[in-house]
Amino acid sequence: MLTTLATLAGLALAQQTDTTVPVRAGARLEVNNFGGEIAIKTWSKSAVRVTASHSSRDRITVDASEQVVRVKSEGRRGPSQVVDYEITVPAAMALALSGVYTDITVDGSQGEITAETVQGTVKVSGGVGNVSLKSVQGDVTLEKARGRIDLSSVNETIKASQISGDVSAETVNGDISLVQVESSNAEATTVNGDVLYDGTIKDGGRYRFSTHDGDLRVSVPEKSNVSVSVSTFDGDFNACFPVQLTGKTKHRFSFTIGSGNARLELESFNGDIRLCRPGQLAKDKDRDQHKNHDQDHDQDQEEE
Amino acid sequence: MSDTWTNRLSEYLDGELPESERATLEAHLRACADCRATLEQLRRVVARAQALDDTPPTTDLWPAIARHVGVVSLDARRARRRLSFTVPQLAAAAVALTLLSAGSAWLLLRRPAGARPSQSTTTPSPILTNVGTYEANPRYAAAVASLERVLAQGRSRLDTATVRVIEKNLGIIDRAIRDAQSALAADPANSYLNLHLAQEMRRKLELLRQAAALAGART
Repeated sequence: MLTTLATLAGLALAQQTDTTVPVRAGARLEVNNFGGEIAIKTWSKSAVRVTASHSSRDRITVDASEQVVRVKSEGRRGPSQVVDYEITVPAAMALALSGVYTDITVDGSQGEITAETVQGTVKVSGGVGNVSLKSVQGDVTLEKARGRIDLSSVNETIKASQISGDVSAETVNGDISLVQVESSNAEATTVNGDVLYDGTIKDGGRYRFSTHDGDLRVSVPEKSNVSVSVSTFDGDFNACFPVQLTGKTKHRFSFTIGSGNARLELESFNGDIRLCRPGQLAKDKDRDQHKNHDQDHDQDQEEE
Repeated sequence: MSDTWTNRLSEYLDGELPESERATLEAHLRACADCRATLEQLRRVVARAQALDDTPPTTDLWPAIARHVGVVSLDARRARRRLSFTVPQLAAAAVALTLLSAGSAWLLLRRPAGARPSQSTTTPSPILTNVGTYEANPRYAAAVASLERVLAQGRSRLDTATVRVIEKNLGIIDRAIRDAQSALAADPANSYLNLHLAQEMRRKLELLRQAAALAGART
């Protein structure tokens, strides 16, 4: 992703900036980095420490007010080149991070997070409240967050685990994996990829998972109360447990588990839909991966 | 998905059925899985409508495009948001509403431009409008064309790898749209296929807007 820029700028990454500014509770951090890395860590101090590796031709500015700490870089002749930031913030500080050729990582946040990049990955551990992570050409990975979670990519995968709250995940060309999720409102949609949901089905909850070219695997815990609607144009449905199908038409059917007061909508135009108990889906996936590995291995042997 | 009660589901959702008919319909719903499924689909449409966000998009490109293609104002959209349609109209609204991503003040109701929006109507629509025809809708086509022009103009400002990725993903979405249209041609009243097509069309518009915003942001 950053190969070209990194090659060009590798020799120029000669300067270190290290600045610490005090911050008040409730202040927000804003970082915009055209290319490079933004790595956020947390500490217990009421201060923000910014360390940056950058070209000697670039200047890093840290502009701190009561509400906002803004970090940016400027080149002597226009935009800066590659800057690698490592920034340490109070855990509860809200973060607004953006870039173009930028990888973004956050570790240990207990605040709101907005992270957007074009060619780069977004990897976050933590986050409370609104957590919005977006990339066009990079994986989006989230763990240990809670709140209103919005995950978006275009050409890569989305993975989230150990998260709770309202969850929305969308990509075009990639898989979506949501595991160890505690949510009463979850939605995941892709065009060309699989969707895996292994999490709670809460009474009164709403769950919607869809793909065009891919499979859906969704866990339904025992003793769930959920009305399930299944729609597929050219795929199969199966469940690891007995279900009584009703309203079966060519492309759609439904069934109810328990009192049925949660709603689960499953849609795959060309793929298969599978329901299992929590934990079984991971075993399925392991088995599939093992099977694929064996097939690859067999193929390799044939080619030899 | 069609029986004598299908066209009354919208009134039922809006709480506008007389008590006696309501009770009869509820009895019918207990026995008719198709109607229950249709009702669920309609509830989704209404829920999506109610969840629409009027927050303007981050890019400034969209308002100009919206004006150019003659989309309705936010106020008009709010005025129309109360959904009291027949099933066919709701199917059409599903498309319109899914095309209404955040800030895109656009409702593709089958109504001549400039006509005064009514607050509520329960008059049955004489035409079951299939969303398969929506891609040919002049306003949808114009919005797509405008965004494609913006993208073409800003293409040189984008990294070639980004352009390739956007084109590849637009191709993936277009294929999904074609798949859905082909399926709908054989089963025009299928609410799943209608909503699926609407979703993919909305997704195409969103990706174009995102790409146009990226191109605009790099000036």
